[in-house]
Amino acid sequence: MAELAQQQPGQGYTPIDEAKRQRLLELVRGRAMARPTDLAEDEVMVWPSLVVVEAVSATVFLLGLVALSVLVNAPLTARANPNQTPNPSKAPWYFLNLQELLLHMDAGLAGVIIPTLALTALAAIPYFDRSPLGVGILGGSAKGRKIIGFTVVYTIVVSIAFVLADEYIKVGGSTRRGFGFGQILQNQGYPEWVYSQVWPSFVIIAAIGGLVALVKRRFQPTRRELVIALFTGFVATYVMLTLFGTSFRGEAQALTWPWDLPLEHH
Amino acid sequence: MRREQTLADRITGSAVWRSVVRHGYPDTQRNQALIIASNVFLHIHPVKIKRYATKVTYTFCLGGLSFFMFLVLTMTGVLLMFYYVPSTDQAYQNMRDIESSVTFGQLMRNMHRWSAQGMVIAVFLHMSRVFFTGSYKPPREFNWVVGVLLLVVTFLLSFTGYLLPWDQLAFWAITVGTEIGGAAPLLGDRVAFLLRGDYQIGQSTLIRFYTLHVIFLPLVAAFLMAVHFWRIRKDGGISGPL
Repeated sequence: MAELAQQQPGQGYTPIDEAKRQRLLELVRGRAMARPTDLAEDEVMVWPSLVVVEAVSATVFLLGLVALSVLVNAPLTARANPNQTPNPSKAPWYFLNLQELLLHMDAGLAGVIIPTLALTALAAIPYFDRSPLGVGILGGSAKGRKIIGFTVVYTIVVSIAFVLADEYIKVGGSTRRGFGFGQILQNQGYPEWVYSQVWPSFVIIAAIGGLVALVKRRFQPTRRELVIALFTGFVATYVMLTLFGTSFRGEAQALTWPWDLPLEHH
Repeated sequence: MRREQTLADRITGSAVWRSVVRHGYPDTQRNQALIIASNVFLHIHPVKIKRYATKVTYTFCLGGLSFFMFLVLTMTGVLLMFYYVPSTDQAYQNMRDIESSVTFGQLMRNMHRWSAQGMVIAVFLHMSRVFFTGSYKPPREFNWVVGVLLLVVTFLLSFTGYLLPWDQLAFWAITVGTEIGGAAPLLGDRVAFLLRGDYQIGQSTLIRFYTLHVIFLPLVAAFLMAVHFWRIRKDGGISGPL
C-alpha cells in the first residue's frame, strides 16, 4: 500500500506517514454487533407452541412402545440355577463394553479404574472447555463435524485392530492379555502388573494420544474442537466395545459371528 | 349479540369448576399464560420460550423422552410390584404368573423391560446431543455434572432391575456385573460383598437389589431430576445459538 501510494503521487492518493501506518496483526473471532435476526428475542407462548410438541412426541412414543410390547415379549429364561453356568455368561448389554475390556487387561483396570476415570473426565468437560463459541450449533462448526467423522473412523479402525491383535497375535500362550503384545511380555517373564496393567494402560493412552496428535495435525483444532474429538472417541469406543460384547462374543468369549451366537444372546 | 348458555358454559362457570381451574379457555395470551402458571405440572415451564427451543430437530425430544420413560417405568413398575415378591423361592414363579395369569401382566412387563432399555439409550443420546450442541458451557456446567450423575443412576436402576426376574439370564448377568465391581483395587472384596450382601448371589442380594430398584434409586433419580429441570430454567432455558 505504501509503495503504491509513493509510485503514484498526486493522483488522489495521500502519501502514508510510516510512523502511523497500521499493520494487520490478527483476525479475531467475535460476535457481530448487528445480527440479521435476533434469535434470543424471538419468543413464543409455551401454550400451545411447546406443549403441543411435547404431547405429540409423548403420544407417538407411547404408541410405539405399546406396539413393541404387544409384538415382542421380554425374555424369561429358565429359573436361576447357581450350579449351571451358561456359556457365555454376559452382563447386561450396556456393561458389555466393560466386559470386553476385561478380556484384554487386569479386571480392576477394566472394570473400575477406566470407567471411573471416564465418568470423571466426562463430568469435568465443562470446566475444561469454557469458551461460549459454537453453542447451539450441532458439532460446533463445519470443522467440528469433520473432526467427528474423522474420529469415528479412527476409533472403528483402532478398536477393531486391537481386538483382532489380541485374538490372533499368540506367541506361545493362549490367554488374551494386553492386546496380544502383553502375551509377549508375559513370555519374557515380566510380572503380571506389567503385562496386564501397565502395558494395556500404555496402549490406551497411546490410542488417545494418537487421536489427539492426528486431529491437531490435520485440523489445527480449537480447545472445543479437541474436546469434540475426545468425546466422539469416547462414544464411538463405547458403541464399538458394546457391539463386540453383544454380537461377536460366543462360547468362552471367543470371537464369533453374530449369527452363530446362542439364541438368548441375540 | 348474546350467546345462549350451553351446558359447557354452565359447567365451566360453576363454583366447583372455578375452584379447581383458575383460567379460562386458552385462546387468549392471558389465559395461555395462566394455564402454565397456575398448574403445578405445567409450571415446570416458563410462560414464554425462545422460538428455537421448540424445534424438534434441535433436541430430538431426548431429554423429555428420558423423563417420559421414567414415568412409564414408575407406573408399570408399581403395577408389577402388586404381583412380585422379592424372595428367591417365589420371584421366578411370580414372573411366570405375571406373564400367564395376570390381566395385561405380560404387556406391563414388556413395557417395563423395553422402556428400561430405551431409557438407557435415550439418556446416552441426550447426553450426546447436549455435548455436540455445546450446551454444557457456562452457565450450564453444573447441570452437565448433574446429568452425568443421572446417567450413572439410570445405569444402576437398569442393573438392579435386571436381577429381579430371577431367571438364568438375570442371575448370571448380575454375577458377571458384581464380579466387575469386585475387581476394584484394594476394596474389591468389600465392594462385591456390599453389592451382594453375601459371598454369593442369593436372598440377601435379591432384597438389596429390589429395595434399591423400587425405592432408593427412583428417589435419588427424582431428586436429581428436580435439580436438573430447575437448573435448566435458572440457566436461561435450553441452549441455543448466541
